[in-house]
Amino acid sequence: MIEVKNVYKSFDGVMVLKDISTRFVPGMTNLIIGRSGSGKTVLLKSILGLFEIDKGEIWYNDRNLVQMHEKERKKMRREVGMVFQGGALFDSLSVAANVRFPLDMFTTMTTKEKQNRVEFCLEHVNIEPAAYYLFPSEISGGMQKRVAIARAIALNPKYLFCDEPNSGLDPETATVIDKLIQSLTKEFQMTTLINTHDMNSVIEIGESVLFISKGEVGWQGANKDILQTGNKKLNDFIFANKLYAQMRKEDI
Amino acid sequence: MKFFFHVGRYFQMLKRVFGRPERHKMYIRQLFHEIDSLGVNSVWIVIIISIFIGGIMTIQFAYSMSNPIYPRTLIGLGTRDTLILEFSSTMLALIMAGKIGSNITSEIGTMRVTEQIDSLEIMGINSASYLILPKIVAVVFIFPFLFIISVFFGLLGGLVTGPIVGVISIPEYVEGIQWLFYPYYVTFSIIKSLFFGFLVASVPAYFGYHVQGGALEVGKASTQAVVNTNILILLFDLILTRLLLT
Repeated sequence: MIEVKNVYKSFDGVMVLKDISTRFVPGMTNLIIGRSGSGKTVLLKSILGLFEIDKGEIWYNDRNLVQMHEKERKKMRREVGMVFQGGALFDSLSVAANVRFPLDMFTTMTTKEKQNRVEFCLEHVNIEPAAYYLFPSEISGGMQKRVAIARAIALNPKYLFCDEPNSGLDPETATVIDKLIQSLTKEFQMTTLINTHDMNSVIEIGESVLFISKGEVGWQGANKDILQTGNKKLNDFIFANKLYAQMRKEDI
Repeated sequence: MKFFFHVGRYFQMLKRVFGRPERHKMYIRQLFHEIDSLGVNSVWIVIIISIFIGGIMTIQFAYSMSNPIYPRTLIGLGTRDTLILEFSSTMLALIMAGKIGSNITSEIGTMRVTEQIDSLEIMGINSASYLILPKIVAVVFIFPFLFIISVFFGLLGGLVTGPIVGVISIPEYVEGIQWLFYPYYVTFSIIKSLFFGFLVASVPAYFGYHVQGGALEVGKASTQAVVNTNILILLFDLILTRLLLT
């Protein structure tokens, strides 16, 4: 479980996160939603320790990230898998080599074991063997995201972080990616945090949703309740899309 | 103030670069890759430039020593000493700052803006060390070889060009390049090339590693890296020449 307690973060005197407190539950897809510039990426990167917070606590089970030394943080990060917005695959490595990279770096597996693990991960994200030796520039955006997911799960992480995993993808592929993350979360019992402003993702897989508005917690709950809240800021965010406004009317 | 900020951040980066590697095997693999991509791939351009410069120098020395009072052997001697003392170490480093330096900045800078460096950090890898250390070691290792290759082909360029254009005969040229030879000049230039190799790899790596923004900023960082590396090479050339030759 990841728990965030009273977190504050500022940049050059501008407060970006204000008193954020929340819990992210294991085995669930935890979504952080909000408008662009609301502070959700800053929150995600703060939880990862890529940004140092001004005040507050970030707990990974019984370990407080804020008090960890560099060595402890490095060790902790090996329990984390991350899917970046653009995939962030290494351009100079093939699909298979990208997935094998963390195994080469941190395990003592034999070549055969690594090969098996790479195949296992790539099969899980539905990448065909024909694509294993292609380079990132030779595959589509959707495939890059799936390879990024395969790389993120290669070391069997306890925590999976995804920064806007379906941005720039067509709705069908975006749904495939969402479902894939959700099924991997269940299968490997990971604590998954997804940063998104895509309402389709919220409706499809948002078992636990945290709405951030201007750096503060605006609302927290499950996707089944999200269309019926009286929260004005949340409603403004959701019903900017007429489709959801229509859904709400039909529900009522 | 900005100057001190960059100097401080450069040394902070170097501290991380020389931190303990996570997996030696991976670093060694990366080192061989860098020796090939940064060093071996530069050999052809070094050969071509050195042949032409050697030939041009021979013609220019012959022109400036056209007075019969000067022995013709001075042409070979002048070409040799200029190649050893300045061209094959300093001028070559300036050229390599353009070729290798811009390559390093754009490669690392692109990795930064596409979050590949963040990705390494998230995995718990010291990204500065993993990306930069093999490049520094590779360039420092390859530079003395490039220096030797450059001197050899520069002298060869003079040997071919001089007799073809009729400014010097082969025996005169060969005698000249052996005349008053001080092996210390070679030692001095190899020491210089080690320093320049370090600058050519580490300064562009600094600019690439700290780039912020997108493709435009990577391009700007590349230009800045080459300009700053060139200035530092010339500054160190002056310092080392003062310390080691006088």
